[in-house]
Order: sequence, then structure tokens, then C-alpha cells
Amino acid sequence: MTSPCRAAYDGAVPSPTSGGSRTAAPTAAGSSARSIGAPVSIRGVSKWFPTGRDFLHALDEVDIEIEPGEFVSLIGPSGCGKSTLLRVVGGLLPYELGTVTVDGNSPAQARDTKQIGFAPQTPSLLGWRTVRRNVTLLAEVNRRGAIHPPLGEREILELLESVGLGDFLDRLPKELSGGMQQRVSLVRCFALGAPVLLMDEPFSALDEITRNEMRYLLLDLWERTGHTVVFVTHSIPEAVILSDRVLVMATKPGRVVHAETITLPRPRSAQMEDDERYLAHMRNVRRSLGEVSAR
Amino acid sequence: MTTDATQQSAPGTDTKQPPPQRPQHVRRSAMAVAPIVGLVVVFAIWEFYVRVFDISRLTLPTPSSILVHVIEEPGFYWRHAQVTLYEAALGYGLALGASLIVATFMAHSRFVERSSMPVIVLLQSTPVAVLAPVFLIWFGFTYWPKVLVAAVFCYIPFTINQFTGLRSVDPNTYELLRSVSASRWEIFWKLRFPQSLPYLFSAGRLCVGLSLVGAVIGEMFGGSTEGLGNTARVGQTRLLIDQLWGSIFVLAFIGVIANILLAAVETRVLRWHSSQDLPGGPTAAR
Repeated sequence: MTSPCRAAYDGAVPSPTSGGSRTAAPTAAGSSARSIGAPVSIRGVSKWFPTGRDFLHALDEVDIEIEPGEFVSLIGPSGCGKSTLLRVVGGLLPYELGTVTVDGNSPAQARDTKQIGFAPQTPSLLGWRTVRRNVTLLAEVNRRGAIHPPLGEREILELLESVGLGDFLDRLPKELSGGMQQRVSLVRCFALGAPVLLMDEPFSALDEITRNEMRYLLLDLWERTGHTVVFVTHSIPEAVILSDRVLVMATKPGRVVHAETITLPRPRSAQMEDDERYLAHMRNVRRSLGEVSAR
Repeated sequence: MTTDATQQSAPGTDTKQPPPQRPQHVRRSAMAVAPIVGLVVVFAIWEFYVRVFDISRLTLPTPSSILVHVIEEPGFYWRHAQVTLYEAALGYGLALGASLIVATFMAHSRFVERSSMPVIVLLQSTPVAVLAPVFLIWFGFTYWPKVLVAAVFCYIPFTINQFTGLRSVDPNTYELLRSVSASRWEIFWKLRFPQSLPYLFSAGRLCVGLSLVGAVIGEMFGGSTEGLGNTARVGQTRLLIDQLWGSIFVLAFIGVIANILLAAVETRVLRWHSSQDLPGGPTAAR
């Protein structure tokens, strides 16, 4: 049986039943892009949560193969196991069946060797640290374990300047707006230098205008660096414009029911939101989500 | 067609001008003066009440007469205040140190938490004053009975607050640090301890008064011949009303000064925390 996560692309405007392997690496066009992504393999992963005397079947035989430098979004109704899957990959939650590898290592090994960068729902900045020191937080801990060097001070400053925080390096989080705090959180995630980044609805608490701005900022950061990203979201436009693949998950138990390979060229921009392919992908994902909800 | 915003506004108003606001330094000065205003109002009412209703000096002297008495005897009060301050400060420090160790273990281990709680409840339910004679038997006529009473007074608020602070960690930030396998020690120093500081300062301010109360009770029940607790006791037994009230005033003055100093440290250390924001919130770059 073919996994829904590995469908093929035939070059035509996508339909819900078509899919496809990616025709090009998802890194930015141009030679300046550096691809440091690592593969992530999720095979037959199942997870249960104990609920008193019973068990909640959170994930059911999830199979996903993610190529190095690929941007994959997980979308689905609440309770379908998106965040659980993300935490399983990140080594933050144990799983009962199947195998997960990050660049050939178990999630726990990947965590210990700092191969995974994590961006939680909230910016989670330390209030007593300035912007500059919040960005370097993850690099400061577990130094011995890291097998990938974190970004240097100059690179971090460049990143902060590129996201418009160059004038706020010595400000405290409480002096920043919600959007600015989220930008710091994103830069912190990238500054770790980990090949795989896991993002759990990082823009969910932002207003629509800021959220829209943030998704292009994330695109810009990612297209310049080429990390492997697993992105959890509830927003279809966000998933489609950002991703190489959008995986639709169903609930009870959580599983992947549809994989939408996004055929939009890179680098992407806001103008592509009028592209027929973008709209077709949106329709496909929406239809798939509708089917999931109707079950 | 473009329209200038000022053309749309009502005649005589300028929409580009921000509404008038008091400058920051004026607001800060007002905040600094506020406690003094409160004290002056209370003393004025007290003074007025005693004079108008002709209250006996033995029952309640006027605050002005107490102040005059204290000013006339600075050496006496300074000598005894030093003793009480020393005992209170040592008790405060002991309680702080012990609570930091115990609360840290409690925050990291459910077993330690559960086994410590009965002891804490027991201490909390015991009238600490009755321990003064016990400490006197154990340590004799030294500083230690008073220091220990002051320490026991402060220990519970410090421990409970510090424990709560260490446990009240933002789960997202905790998970973030776990995602890179930060050690327990790193999580403690980078997250738990700094995040618990508002709780610690809150207890610290409460314990300034409690440590003084403890030291004074220790002096009263601990067979002391020095300290403001002793001067107050002697004042009461020999009907030296000015001395009794003078001791109370000096104790209150020490408490106020200690609180002001601690508040100054708190403002500096916790400048990142919302508790230090003036009304209207921080100056955000929004």
C-alpha cells in the first residue's frame, strides 16, 4: 500500500487525487542558499495516552518521509495528533509503536545532540533577557551535546536585522509587540543551527495582519537557510504558501489521510496567492479537511 | 483623491498631536511620594484625635511627643536598634538560605515535596512565640534564641513562596529547554530561579516585618537585656510610656527603611517583570 505521504506529481494543476514527488529542492533559488536540512523518517508510529483506566489512541500508524530541506506542514482538526506527532519527532513524548529517526538518529539522540530546533505556540521568551540574549539561549545550554555549531554572533545580528529587530537588540520582551516577540522566537529557533526545525502553531496567537507578515518572514528565513521544517498549523493559506507538502490529518485516531504536494515555485511571495495553482491547492486541502470533519 | 487628515478634523483640533500626558519622571516622583502622604495622613488623624478628645498620655501619647522623645535620645535607641537589627538580619538570612535549599529540593522532587509538607504545616500551625523559651534553654543568654525565633518566623513564607515560584515555570519555555536536552541545573539557573524571583521578593518584603517581630518576641521572652524588644518591655513594666512608644516607632522606622531598600533592589532586579510597570504599562515598541 502506498503511503498517502508519497504521492507523485505530474506537472498539471493538482487535483485532490494527484500528488507528487518534489521536482526541485525546496531551498531558495540562487547559489547563496545553504541547505543544512536533515531527513526525518516516521514509520508506523502509534501512540496512546492513558486516560484513567482507558487509553486514548492519539496516533495510528503514521508514515511520513521528509527529505532534507523539505518544508512539511501538518494540518487537521483539533485533537488529531499534530502537536503530539511533533513532540514525538522532537523526543519530547515517547511512542509505543513504530520508528522515528532524525538524520538516522532516534528522537532522544537527536535531542541530546541538538539536531532539533523547536518553536512553541507562544514566543516563550525569558522576560529578564534582552532580545540578543534570548536568541542565544538555546545555544548556551547543553553545549557539549551539539554536533552542529550554532550561528555566530555576526550571523545572529544579521538575522535579527533581516527581521527588523536590529534596533531592539537590548530591549526586554515586555517592550516588544506580540509580532516582534514571535520574530525573536523564530530567530532563536534558526540560531540554534539545528538541521530540523519543529514549529507548533507559532503564529496562532497573532492577529491576521501580523500573522500574514510573519509567514513571509519565515519563508524568507527558511529559503535562505534550507532547514528541514515540520510546521503545525490550522491555517490552510499558511500551510499552502509555506510548504512543499501539506499533510492533512484526521482525528480518532490521529493519522495522515491526504498529502498535498505544493507545486508553487520558490522563492514564494504574496503575489502567488492569486496563482491558480495556489487556489487549487487551497481547494484540495480544504476539501480534504471537509471530508475529515464530516467523518 | 487624497485628503489631509488635519483637513477632516474638527476646527481647532490637531489629530497629529498626541493627547497630553504627564512626563514619566513626574509619574515616578508621584509614586515615590505616595507612601509619605499616607503616613502623614495617619499621623495627622492620630495627633488630632489625641488632642481633641484629650486622651491620657498613659493611654496614647501624640505622635509628635513620641518623635521628640526619640530625637532627644538618639544614642539609646541606636544602641538597642543595632542589637535588634543584627538578630533580625541574621534570622532573615538564615531563613532565606534554608528555604532556598529546601524549596529547590521540593520543586525538583514530588517525594521531597510530600515529605516536607507535614513539617511545614506543623511549623505554620505552631505559635512561634512559644519557641523562644525553648531556644533560651537550648542556647542560653546569647543572640541565638532571638535569631532562631526570627528565622522560624520567616522560614515558612520564604519556603512556600520560593517553592511556588520554582514550580510556576512556563510550560512552553520548559519544553523549549527540554527540546535541546538542557540539564536540570541549566533549567534551574536559566529558567526556574530567575522566574521565581518575583515570588522571592514578595516573601522578602513580608519577612522584613516578620524578622523584626521575631527578634522582638525573642528579646521579650528570651531573657534579653538589650534590643528594642527589651526596651519596650521595660517601658511597659515601669510605665515609661515614651520609651515604650519610642521603641515601637524606631522598630516601625527600621521596618519602613528596610522595606524601601528592598523595594529599590527589587525595582532594579525585577525591572523585566510586569509588577514593576507604572500604571499604563511598559513603553512597548508597538
